[in-house]
Amino acid sequence: MAKSSGENGPRAPAAGGSLSGTRESLAQGPDAAAADELSSLGSDSEANGFAERRIDKFGFIVGSQGAEGAPCPLLHRLEEVPLEVLRQRESKWLDMLNNWDKWMAKKHKKIRLRCQKGIPPSLRGRAWQYLSGGKVKLQQNPGKFDELDMSPGDPKWLDVIERDLHRQFPFHEMFVSRGGHGQQDLFRVLKAYTLYRPEEGYCQAQAPIAAVLLMHMPAEQAFWCLVQICEKYLPGYYSEKLEAIQLDGEILFSLLQKVSPVAHKHLSRQKIDPLLYMTEWFMCAFARTLPWSSVLRVWDMFFCEGVKIIFRVGLVLLKHALGSPEKVKACQGQYETIERLRSLSPKIMQEAFLVQEVVELPVTERQIEREHLIQLRRWQETRGELQCRSPPRLHGAKAILDAEPAPRPALQPSPSIRLPPDAPFPSSKAKPKPPKQVQKEQRKRTKASGQLDKTPAPNQAMVVAAAGDTCPPQAMSPKDLAPQDPAPQDPAPQDLAPQDSAHHHSQESLTSQESEDTYL
Amino acid sequence: MGNGTEEDYNFVFKVVLIGESGVGKTNLLSRFTRNEFNHDSRTTIGVEFSTRTVMLGTAAVKAQIWDTAGLERYRAITSAYYRGAVGALLVFDLTKHQTYAVVERWLKELYDHAEATIVVMLVGNKSDLSQAREVPTDEARMFAENNGLLFLETSALDSTNVELAFETVLKEIFAKVSKQRQNSTRTNAITLGSAQAGQEPGPGEKRACCISL
Repeated sequence: MAKSSGENGPRAPAAGGSLSGTRESLAQGPDAAAADELSSLGSDSEANGFAERRIDKFGFIVGSQGAEGAPCPLLHRLEEVPLEVLRQRESKWLDMLNNWDKWMAKKHKKIRLRCQKGIPPSLRGRAWQYLSGGKVKLQQNPGKFDELDMSPGDPKWLDVIERDLHRQFPFHEMFVSRGGHGQQDLFRVLKAYTLYRPEEGYCQAQAPIAAVLLMHMPAEQAFWCLVQICEKYLPGYYSEKLEAIQLDGEILFSLLQKVSPVAHKHLSRQKIDPLLYMTEWFMCAFARTLPWSSVLRVWDMFFCEGVKIIFRVGLVLLKHALGSPEKVKACQGQYETIERLRSLSPKIMQEAFLVQEVVELPVTERQIEREHLIQLRRWQETRGELQCRSPPRLHGAKAILDAEPAPRPALQPSPSIRLPPDAPFPSSKAKPKPPKQVQKEQRKRTKASGQLDKTPAPNQAMVVAAAGDTCPPQAMSPKDLAPQDPAPQDPAPQDLAPQDSAHHHSQESLTSQESEDTYL
Repeated sequence: MGNGTEEDYNFVFKVVLIGESGVGKTNLLSRFTRNEFNHDSRTTIGVEFSTRTVMLGTAAVKAQIWDTAGLERYRAITSAYYRGAVGALLVFDLTKHQTYAVVERWLKELYDHAEATIVVMLVGNKSDLSQAREVPTDEARMFAENNGLLFLETSALDSTNVELAFETVLKEIFAKVSKQRQNSTRTNAITLGSAQAGQEPGPGEKRACCISL
């Protein structure tokens, strides 16, 4: 869809007083033509020439606004993670996901580092569910989504939601077809939310958020991740009165003073309300602003570390767009400045550059919270009390987990590949031992040496679970696992049958050195 | 009257598009400023705008058209949006009566935030879908007349009356401005206190007049 671009040049004066600003050609722009063609597709099938369109690796139709047009092929190649590295990262992430509680409790910094490096695409959907606590929410509420899904919604909300279904990422293959599965799922998720939180209802910025989630996971999972975003990460963003976003706009502007005094002064002088540039940025978590590979990297970090990532991205963009005298010189008026912030240079949005800047920007949760209090006080002085009090936001995965009331059930296993219990295990000499016996041995081993355990134990989680599945709890020392779990920790033998691909053996225990991890 | 910068224009008129979600504001904007229409244009979140410079007589006028989300919820964050606006297109979808029924509420919102002298046109959009019409032309026209609003039916899809709608509003604004200038002894930009926030030329800059009525 054509974004608002710069203005047109002046027209030649016409004879008489008539308006002569009309453009000659009535031909529609390329995006409009593509959209018309695509919107006439009735179904998801490829029968209508849809297959002729090239789709990029993220699902966007090549040539459309959402797709990365590879302006610099070399740059693109630099962004590609070497396959070997990708496979190793996947292996590490599988281990983390299989031992999530333990990792979150003891090695959270490592999780954070890996999120900063980017979650492997094959595991991104799962990882987001774990990080956000959406997975736990789903388990705590079995059948809830189905119940909401089957209920009739409030017609007032349904009407608005329906109007928005074809207006989210229309050039993404998942959402291009009117009435297609993507749009249907989007409807289901958004409707469910209005039923789950009727006092909140629907806010239009929730649609792009839900759409991004749906690109990575099924509707039920996407729903719970949306719940977490709306309630834990960005509470109040989508509520009546939109007070939270206004406050964050002020916080952003305030933080900018230290990050880029030049940009701050310029925006100040031109009296540009933060809402004029940060609303879409923050409410959509940059899903409508950045090139797609950057969006995913930002979301990886956002799920782990919370809203401070959103603030940092905003500050980085402002700093690089308006942070020097040369840059602001070109922005003579309010209009030019806002235009500049809406057509950001691809260089500053490029994945590697942006992530680096975000990781290095020294803006902390504490600073954000401190500024929040200041702005809140100012609001109360000038505008009275907030009309919608939102709960305090939680700054990332660890905070969300810690806020969960104990006891909570440990994630239950449901592997999708099962081998018979007596299948030969390639690298172990002995027959598979009964689980309790193996655990005892393992306990001895891990106690005896703090070194990397090279021999994979038969009941290490070596089952490859499909995306969206829960993972088996790691059978380390039973007593180290969630103590409040009433169910016995010994999984049934068939659930932990060995899997013969060495590639999936996790060779890392929590006591390993992992010195190689910093590179990968 | 100030000099233009690299663009040769004498005036900047800020015009806002308001109305319920889905009535076609974004497409009216894109049709007028870029001659584009998109069935699947993105939901507007935050603020969008675009400009087009047109000639009114011998004066070059830069129309700065602003567009924002129509959903009720967003009303809370729009005071910056209205600031300095001299014209407004209040848009409804003539195939959805509900979007017309709330026009009075939109007018109230408009007058709460903008100058009382703002030029307003009521626009019934989607005239290409006349077979699905739910708002009779005469009814809307009558309402407009009774409330001192201009009125047109448009189609951003097939371009009907889009030029005319913006042209009419701009001409009306221009006429008001010219009149005020005749009446005023000053020859410089006519400002209205804080309504000019953000549109004043910086020190030492020569810019076009930013007009507020």
